[in-house]
Amino acid sequence: MKRFNAYALTFRLPIIIWQGLFFIGPLAFTIAMSFFLVKNFRMEEAFEMKNWSRMLSRGYVWDSYWFTLMMAAGSAALTSLLAFPASMYLAFRSSESMRRWAIFLLIIPFFTSYLVRTFSWYVILAESGVINAGLGLIGLGPFTMLNTIFGTLVGYVMLTLPLVVILQTVTLASIDRSLIQAARNLGCGPVRVIFATILPAAKTGLIVAALFAFILAFGDFVAPYYLGGSKPPTLPILIIDTTKAGQQWPRAAVVAVMMMVTLFVIAFTAILLAYRKRASR
Amino acid sequence: MSEPLVVLDGVEKRFDDFVAVRRADLTINAGEFVAIMGPSGCGKTTTLRMLAGLEDPSAGTIHIDGKVMNGVPPHERDTPMVWQTLALFPFLNVRENVEFGLKMRGVAAPERGRRAKDWLERMEIGEFAGRNIETLSGGQKQRVALARALVTEPRLLLLDEPLSALDAHLVIRMQSVLTRLQRELGITFVYVTHSQSEAFAMADRIVIMASGEVAQVGGAREIYRNPANRFVAEFVGRNTILTGSVEGARLKTALGSFTMPGQGTQPADGTQANLVIAADRLQIGRGPLEVENTLRATLISEEFVGAFVTLFLEAEDGTEFKVQLQESALGALDLSSGGTFHLGWRGEQAHLMIEDAR
Repeated sequence: MKRFNAYALTFRLPIIIWQGLFFIGPLAFTIAMSFFLVKNFRMEEAFEMKNWSRMLSRGYVWDSYWFTLMMAAGSAALTSLLAFPASMYLAFRSSESMRRWAIFLLIIPFFTSYLVRTFSWYVILAESGVINAGLGLIGLGPFTMLNTIFGTLVGYVMLTLPLVVILQTVTLASIDRSLIQAARNLGCGPVRVIFATILPAAKTGLIVAALFAFILAFGDFVAPYYLGGSKPPTLPILIIDTTKAGQQWPRAAVVAVMMMVTLFVIAFTAILLAYRKRASR
Repeated sequence: MSEPLVVLDGVEKRFDDFVAVRRADLTINAGEFVAIMGPSGCGKTTTLRMLAGLEDPSAGTIHIDGKVMNGVPPHERDTPMVWQTLALFPFLNVRENVEFGLKMRGVAAPERGRRAKDWLERMEIGEFAGRNIETLSGGQKQRVALARALVTEPRLLLLDEPLSALDAHLVIRMQSVLTRLQRELGITFVYVTHSQSEAFAMADRIVIMASGEVAQVGGAREIYRNPANRFVAEFVGRNTILTGSVEGARLKTALGSFTMPGQGTQPADGTQANLVIAADRLQIGRGPLEVENTLRATLISEEFVGAFVTLFLEAEDGTEFKVQLQESALGALDLSSGGTFHLGWRGEQAHLMIEDAR
């Protein structure tokens, strides 16, 4: 028998209570609510499969599901690619003080409201906005960037890029330098060393950074709504619309549970992949 | 005669204001086992890194195999290195680690596999080919690192304190593995170490470096018995150093006048010089000793290393004397009763070192 340890429990209790109150509790309630019924715009406690069978049989739900999944995955990949050269520079080329400043500056965007930042992109991307005005000077455009998939992607990248750069930089900077030197010593050219040594050595951190980007984009409502113009709607927009239309909270809960399950599966797979040890042969 | 493989010609390396290596001239012959030895920060590792191309000299030229190597990037050289941290790739298994250099050189997979297998078997770790690096012991990792560096069959192998992380008994084992390998392959080893025992046990020639300069180059015996300067005399072995001025065939010091060993040219009277007496050549006794040079000193401390004991004594002017003797000889000395001892040495067993600038 393991002895009851009151000392350890004292320190664990707050986090257990917190997780119970604000994560497990609401999650359980959301799952329960997905089986409730709505009658005369009022929710009634029940245990019916109606919401599930309705939502899962609708083509628009699945369209939205795959679109959201692809957009989040695509933006995670795009953000990772965009962040990588900057992270490489910060990790290997810049001075210690420059890296510290860069990380500080990357945190600054989080000080301002995401909504405010989104609306400033509105000004930049609009038909009569900054970019089109610039392109107009050399006789190009105007290009429609708002209310398109491109607009949504810009929003997702804006949301996730600073975090991904920070996570990648920290990961790359912690690679044992002698591994890189050993690779060069064994005949690895400057480009090849990235693929043969740096990427495999930094795999865990790079996957975790991309996972964060995916999670943030997957659940984001602002970018696809304001910059993408809900064309087509993503799952978070679908949740809002469903709750507004006829107080269908239980149907919205179905979408929410679908999202949670998807996130769990993807996060679990990514972590498994990130920390996978090489199989002994 | 063997031809020179590596030539350092007035090589310097500066990092901002710090001079890591200054005016280093050194020739290493093909097939030689050369150890570069010195205390931390003496420039030995920087010298090795310049041979690998990981640092570029600030001045002077490095020739390898007759070609000027300045500016040649590391991956275009054939100078594999065994690292102090081993630097094995944790994301590759044992076989893939060994194949890495071949893969980078574009050797086809079947040929890579065959050569890696040969080397793993040669290093007696064939059975671990598919294992993760972290499942290996220190000694096994060491062998993987050696196999990885040697699989491309280079003419020159660089080793940067490769044994410093191993247990004492493994160090001895790996020393014999290394010397045997070097003899069998006939390639040139440049071995950086701060350990005198490693350098003396393995190297054909030893380069002693001190604050960025080459202090002495020579065989183990030569460096041990005939240190070129005060630094080497203090760094290598256990030497007692007496400083004084030449007076005829004797050296006049604060502790008295002592005979000088015969030299090719007799230094002029008044020349500043040092007498270096190795610890194993000093005699010690309770009673007067029958040798030309004697003095008295007080015992300060003693240090046991197995069968040998080093006694530290202090003469009346504070000069420290180190005497090494067999543990079995201690009985006659009766150390516990303290007091003064007689020290002495035969004139020709001391080494005369003319005072230099340092």
